[in-house]
Amino acid sequence: MAYSVSIMSTHTLSKYSFLNSARGWLIPVGLLLVWEVMSRQSAENAYAFASIEQIYHGLVEILSTGELQQGIAASLQRAFLGLLIGGFLGFSIGAVMAQWRVADVLIGPLYHMLRQVPLMGLVPLFSLWLGNGDPSKLVVVCLSAFYPLVLATYESLHQVESKYKEVGDVLKLSRTKTFIKILLPAALPNIFTGISFALAFAWLATIGSEILFSAGAGLGNIMMNAQAASRMDILIILTALIGLLGFLMNYLINKVGQYLFRWRNLR
Amino acid sequence: MSSLNTVLSFKRDAALKEESTDSSLAGSQQRVRPGSGEFQQPVKPLAPVTLEIKNVEKSYQLSGERLQVLAGINLDIRAGEFISIVGASGCGKSTLLRLVAGLDGQYGGDIVYQGSRITGTDLDRGIVFQEHRLFPWLTVEANILLAFSATDVPKAERRARVQAQIKLVGLSGFEKAYPHQISGGMSQRVAIARALVLRPQLLLLDEPFAALDALTRLKLQQELQRLWEHEGLTTILVTHDVEEAVFLGDRVVVMESHPGRIKRIVPVDLPRPRVRSTLEFQRIKDDVLTDFV
Amino acid sequence: MSIGIRVALGINQADPKFRRRSRLRLAAFISPIAFLLLWAWVAKIELFSPQLLVSPLEVLQTFHELLDSGELWEHLSVSFSRLGIGFSIGASSGLLFGIVMALSKRVEGFFSPVFQALRQVPSIALIPIFILLFGIDEIFKIAIVTKAAFFTVALASYEATKGISRNYFEVSQAYKLPTYTLYTKIVIPAILPPVLTGLRIAFSRSWTILVAAELLAADSGLGHMMQMGREVFRIDIVMVGVVLTGLIGFGIDRLFKWGEANLIPWRTA
Repeated sequence: MAYSVSIMSTHTLSKYSFLNSARGWLIPVGLLLVWEVMSRQSAENAYAFASIEQIYHGLVEILSTGELQQGIAASLQRAFLGLLIGGFLGFSIGAVMAQWRVADVLIGPLYHMLRQVPLMGLVPLFSLWLGNGDPSKLVVVCLSAFYPLVLATYESLHQVESKYKEVGDVLKLSRTKTFIKILLPAALPNIFTGISFALAFAWLATIGSEILFSAGAGLGNIMMNAQAASRMDILIILTALIGLLGFLMNYLINKVGQYLFRWRNLR
Repeated sequence: MSSLNTVLSFKRDAALKEESTDSSLAGSQQRVRPGSGEFQQPVKPLAPVTLEIKNVEKSYQLSGERLQVLAGINLDIRAGEFISIVGASGCGKSTLLRLVAGLDGQYGGDIVYQGSRITGTDLDRGIVFQEHRLFPWLTVEANILLAFSATDVPKAERRARVQAQIKLVGLSGFEKAYPHQISGGMSQRVAIARALVLRPQLLLLDEPFAALDALTRLKLQQELQRLWEHEGLTTILVTHDVEEAVFLGDRVVVMESHPGRIKRIVPVDLPRPRVRSTLEFQRIKDDVLTDFV
Repeated sequence: MSIGIRVALGINQADPKFRRRSRLRLAAFISPIAFLLLWAWVAKIELFSPQLLVSPLEVLQTFHELLDSGELWEHLSVSFSRLGIGFSIGASSGLLFGIVMALSKRVEGFFSPVFQALRQVPSIALIPIFILLFGIDEIFKIAIVTKAAFFTVALASYEATKGISRNYFEVSQAYKLPTYTLYTKIVIPAILPPVLTGLRIAFSRSWTILVAAELLAADSGLGHMMQMGREVFRIDIVMVGVVLTGLIGFGIDRLFKWGEANLIPWRTA
């Protein structure tokens, strides 16, 4: 009791938080200044270190041609489509494995065997099988969402405490009913954690596959084109944008999770 | 010197109170006067006061508001005395103990231990917490040895003293065990051994048996009493178990909350080892319990 | 272990049913063997053109050829040295940075915002910028591996150090532990298990990013070997690469797992 109070008191003590935040700004601003100075040093440097002015012009440029908007739309669409397909398959297989022993014994080892290959290592294979276009990218993104969700579903369903399962026995519910009414709701918060991971992985796989498969639209493709043209300004914009979009998606899905599972007593 | 007077005056107050209850013939309220009745025991000469708690208060800032946890605490503790502090959750009894331990140096008033005001921890004051707080990556032996880190006791002597202490708390054979391999009661014994191995003058116990099951608790209370008599050290026990407080304490300090303060002090003049089933024991316990129910 | 970490690591904590009974343990081989047989059969009847699918035996044969010619060793040793250098630089600096940032309010104030912002950028999205900055030589590949390892390990050790129970510090305070003892006996053992987990995640990320970087821009390495196979339509070489990346990732992951089990004889309740 006293312990928790004293923790809170240190929070209110932080009346110097404005100082802290000023400190936090110091390094980014400093880096920015160094960057800017470097970009003005020589023509060679201007190529590696795009000045803030250049970055602004680059942003205006890709915005006005509509390239950026198209790229964002293509990448987001790919990520969510992959999450939807791969996630659904992953959930189904995970649930089947958790429910039927035979499926567990048969699918489990195969799943763990195939999962060992890093996704990006599969790129050359898919490129030979499906070409360098959208189908290959989609398969990679689907797989990236599929793997974590199989595991999350399987684990979460297994974790449901047996006392909840016993309620199903006592009420003489059928197997399907026990699953829908008891197991699934109890496991859902953890499965959702798996979904939020799958989303993060899907976003990574989207950008990665767009960088590695040359054909088609998407933020990764714009980046590779910019790299070929040595356009550091556009690369910086896109890299920051990818980080920002990833952060926003993660933030949003966590908020959704908090709202959906507000009945759950955390800690 | 003034502190001694306080104790004496307190003694007088207590005596007066006893007389008044005697005359009112309220049987259940009656307490045994020292050296009277069948519980004959030699009257100990008063030991010097070793710890003075004077006008102590403590408050926290809680989201801008001041929360008073302790107010006007006055208590003098004599060397070799066993003091039990009982109170409901949130009455500040643990906070008071932490102040005495020196874990928190920010407080109002004075806590004077052997002539100097307490501002930080000291190896002379051992503390045992409610959770055993053993380090899971150290064996029983290494956990106790860790206590010597800040001392210049030679290595060989450290080992010998750890061995002796382990034996004293009855854990011989478990020296190399990790905390997860022994039971909660055993872990708490290790924690007591860790506190005692430095031979502190003052032992502070913060609800040390609260997390244990009832049977283990009884056993450890017995053992604590034995250890206390063996070592003869001044002990402050914080607990919410009235029976435990009466069983172990020379005096039981009853605290009440909002803000935490001392309600009254009940002397327990029963000979040791104490027997819980005796009428006198039950009377004192019932008396203290009236403060809570 | 939280479900998140388990998903990230791919750890099954729920005991798979086949592990519980020795009779069923053999059953664990049913599906991988069936998979291989199916693969061999499909390749044999040439359901797909041999340019798209070769049988497992042919993959094994190619593996032997590559091994005998010494080509494979060359690629492997190049990949391993990149991984080793990048990972050790990234992981050790990340470890130090994470601990210091967690213990010093000042360092945290200065660096935490930059760290948290940069952390959001996936390593793979940095590949194009790194190519522009460092060219396509060794430095680029080592830098990208270092980046991947640094941020993962820094975050793990930062959170582990922040998560050390306040109780431990209170006990240290009560026994007036000297700073050196505090670090060697309390802080380091306390963060060891989560940091090892972090190293494990960091390793698998480093390996993936290295393979990706080698696919994109390299003249040697396992990724480059696969890329060459892809360009000359040698599916067998590509498949040797796929199987090997999987095996190597798996093997080193097991090594970390072994370390976790053997370096840590205690258990935190």
